[in-house]
Order: sequence, then C-alpha cells, then structure tokens
Amino acid sequence: MTTEPALMSLTSVAQAIAQKQVSSREATQSCLDRTAQWQPRLNAFMAIEAEAALAAADAADADLAKGNNRGTLHGVPLAHKDMYYEAGKVVTCGSRIRRDFVATTTSTALQRLKDAGTVRLGSLQMAEFAYGPTGHNAHYGPVHNPWGLDHITGGSSSGSGSAVAARLTFAALGSDTGGSIRMPAHFCGVTGLKTTVGRISRAGAMPLSQSLDTVGPLARSVEDCALLLGLMAGADPDDPTAVTGPVPDYSVATTGSIKDLTIGVPTAFYVDDLDSEVAAILDATMAVLKREGVNVVQVELPDQRQLSAACQLVLAVEAAAFHKRWLIERPQDYSPQVLMRLQNGLAIPGVTYLEAMRWRGPALAAHLAAVAGVDAVIAPVAPVAAPTIAESDVGNSPDAEAVIQRLTRFTRPINYLGLPSLAIPSGFTRSGLPVAMQLIGRSFDEATLLRIGAAFQRVTDFHDQVPKLA
Amino acid sequence: MTRPTPKEISAIAAVAGVPVNAEVATRIANSIGPAFEGFAAIAGTLPFDLEPAAFVVVQAGKASK
Repeated sequence: MTTEPALMSLTSVAQAIAQKQVSSREATQSCLDRTAQWQPRLNAFMAIEAEAALAAADAADADLAKGNNRGTLHGVPLAHKDMYYEAGKVVTCGSRIRRDFVATTTSTALQRLKDAGTVRLGSLQMAEFAYGPTGHNAHYGPVHNPWGLDHITGGSSSGSGSAVAARLTFAALGSDTGGSIRMPAHFCGVTGLKTTVGRISRAGAMPLSQSLDTVGPLARSVEDCALLLGLMAGADPDDPTAVTGPVPDYSVATTGSIKDLTIGVPTAFYVDDLDSEVAAILDATMAVLKREGVNVVQVELPDQRQLSAACQLVLAVEAAAFHKRWLIERPQDYSPQVLMRLQNGLAIPGVTYLEAMRWRGPALAAHLAAVAGVDAVIAPVAPVAAPTIAESDVGNSPDAEAVIQRLTRFTRPINYLGLPSLAIPSGFTRSGLPVAMQLIGRSFDEATLLRIGAAFQRVTDFHDQVPKLA
Repeated sequence: MTRPTPKEISAIAAVAGVPVNAEVATRIANSIGPAFEGFAAIAGTLPFDLEPAAFVVVQAGKASK
C-alpha cells in the first residue's frame, strides 16, 4: 500500500477504509494536504471545506468502529463540479449570477454517492454555466492543468479534471453536454465516462441542454468509473428521462476478457487533421488492443459534420431558453464569451430547432446500422493535446467559435446521438501532456466500454501516472 | 437552408424578447452560420410523420451486432 492515501484509487481506498487499514480521516487529511499544496497553482477548487470534511471523516470512522458501514464508499472523501445541488450549500455553477445561490434540494446523483457513505471535501471549479470547453472562467480565473500549468484543463468540468489528475480527490462528478467530461479527461490524463442520455438522473444538476446533458464521473481508472456509475445509475422519480430498466453490474463488466471483441476505427473525420503525436497514440492504442485479442476493423460512419451542426443548433437554443430570464435581466453579469454563446441561440428559428430534434432518431439509427459489426468505435477525444491558456483565451473575439469548434469537433456528434463514450488515458506527448482516446458504444452499453477500457488499463500505466509539483 | 443574415437575426432576437444591436447580430451570424450550413442538407428533407420522440424509440431498441 502506498504511504500517501490520496494516491490510492477510489476502489482501493474504499476497500482500505472498510477494512480499517486506512481511516477516513487519514484519507481526507491526505487529500486536503495535497490540495493545500496544489490549489494555489491549479485553482481547481471552488470551495475547500476542510474543517467540515475532517469532522465528517471522524464521524465516518466512529460509525465504522461501531460496525455501521454506510455503504460502498464509506468515509471516502470526494469533491464535485460546482453544479450539483446539495441542500444548504452554495452552488455557483461557475457564475457570478449564482455566486450566492444556496440549493434547497440535493441532486440525485450526489445523494446516491452520499448514501454510499462519501465525505464532502468541497466543490470544484467549472466553466461558467458549463458553457465552455477550455477551462477559462472570467469570474473565478482559469483552472490550470497539473501536467503543465500554462495549459488548459479542458472544460467545462475543468476543476474535476485538474483535481482528479493531481490526486486532490479520488474522483469527481462532471457533466457532458458537448464533451465536458471527455475533454478534461483527455487534457488532464484521467478516465472520464460520458454516459448515455437517460442512464443517470439529472435531477438537481444545473441544466444546460435538456436533450443533451449527461452526468458522469472523472476518476483515476475505468474500475473507479464503473463503481461510481453503478452507484448512480437507475430510475429516479424526480427525473422521468432517467430510464427505468435494470442497472448492469458495471464492476463485474470490468473483469471481462476482450478477446474476440471487434473495435471499429473510423475511415474519416476522427482521423483527419490529427496532430502527429495524437495520430501515433491512436495507432499505439489500437496495437495494444490487438495484442489483447481485439479485432480492429475500419468503419464508415455517417457524415459527422451534420451531427455536429445539429448538436450546435439544439444546444444553442436550449441553453438560450434556460437563460432567457437572465439574458433580459442580468446580461452584464455574464462573461462576454458566455453571453455571446448564449445569444447564438436567439438566432435559430423554432422550426430549425425542431428539425434538428426530429432528425435525432434517424441519425441514431443510421449510426447504429453503420456500427452493427463492431462492439465499439475508437477515436481521439480531440485532435490535439492541451493548448496553452493564453492561446485559447479567445474572449469574445470573432475567432472564439472556431477555436471551440476545433476542440469539440470529436465530441459533439456523440452528444447529439446520446451515446456513451469512455475517455481513457492513452499516452503522452513528447512535452509531457496527456492524450486520451474515446471508446464510443451503443446506447446504454456502457458495460462493453468499461470492459474494453479496463482491459487496456490492465496492460498500460498511463492512468497511473501522477503529475509532479513543480 | 442558408445562414441567417444579421438583419434576420435582429428580427428573430427581438421577437424572442431579447433584442440585440447590429454589432451583436453580425457576430451571431458569423458564429452560428456554420451550424446552419452544416445542417442544410437535412433541413427540409425530413418525412412528415417523424417525431422527435423517434430518438427515444431508436435508443431503446436492441441494436444487435
């Protein structure tokens, strides 16, 4: 066992606490110690609740001493993207508008993790209203990448990616509407799971786009993501869009063999205009999977640019509708870039929006037909590793949308189709920046992605690399 | 389907209850224009009976390998 509990995986620390090899206080103090070192450099936390966290950890230890184990994550300290409502807590959503907003309810996803016994460390930074892919935040400052402090984390789950990578929290909730879990996972070198639309309840999570929003974890391994998904997934009377079917045993799925599975690599779009190092890492990832017995074949997908365009139309309109009241009453309280992006939704006629929504079914059917011969599709999360904070600080310039389009190019089509996608650390550039590949599955088939991802992580150690404090 | 002009955007935004000035309308036109162009091949081609709920139906179907 490592001497620093914060360096353990979520699964390992949960087991160690349950077996009284590590106390919740030790695990919590270890995370807080690392946070004290890293936070001034990363700006990953929105709020650090050290005193309350240690008190909760002591209570967890006392419960365990009395034989009262609250659940799978008894005493495990976690922090999450600051958009998950917790009754009595300020939830800023990364915004000035909600700087003092105190939630009166607790989100279902968060409650299910609390019911499993977690301890709250605080809350994590994010893009303003989750509407930005870089990690910049005009109100609270940019979040920095622990692998290169001058580089972006990706967004919108910027604090989640940064904090998990630096081992300040064992895992964190993110949200993914256009790539907001997978991009921080890619840029920060952690594992991130974008779930199928409907897999996890969104009740009590700040909305951005009701058709596209998904809840999911960023963690240190596929095994950890599987554990969290199993705890959060399932029906919820507070969110009728959460599907009612049985929840598979995702942790068991991670133990399965991948021999004779077939993975498709797209013939176009996801392999076009890649940075050479990203392209080489894609090839190396496929070589590892082949060695593990996977068949890799080429797949011809429908036009992904049309999917991306439809995603933009849906997202822009739904975000503008959610924000309309504040667009009228408090436009000055948005950062210029987020205001600009919200205003985009005003320009789209209702008929166009509904056409984009009506096409979703046929588009998904066409995709499923195209991938009928494979178990998953592999693609880069982004064509490049993390750009610098300075070069991607586009503000409200006319080039802003072009920069955003490039970063989100490989993620948006998946959001439009509502599919699950697992981002797995797959290598590093020569300059030491992480690169991830995404495994894209069928609707509600997260289990196959977790199975492939876990097998990959059993024979690679990219996910175990820990950034060093400069 | 073509991208909306700044003049059209001004009108749509005003009807939506969030009027924008000419400069913002121009910026929006440049920003959202590519999405209109990307979706142009689909717009106006969908069959009459297709509902948005078709997505949920396809999603819930068991797609076999």
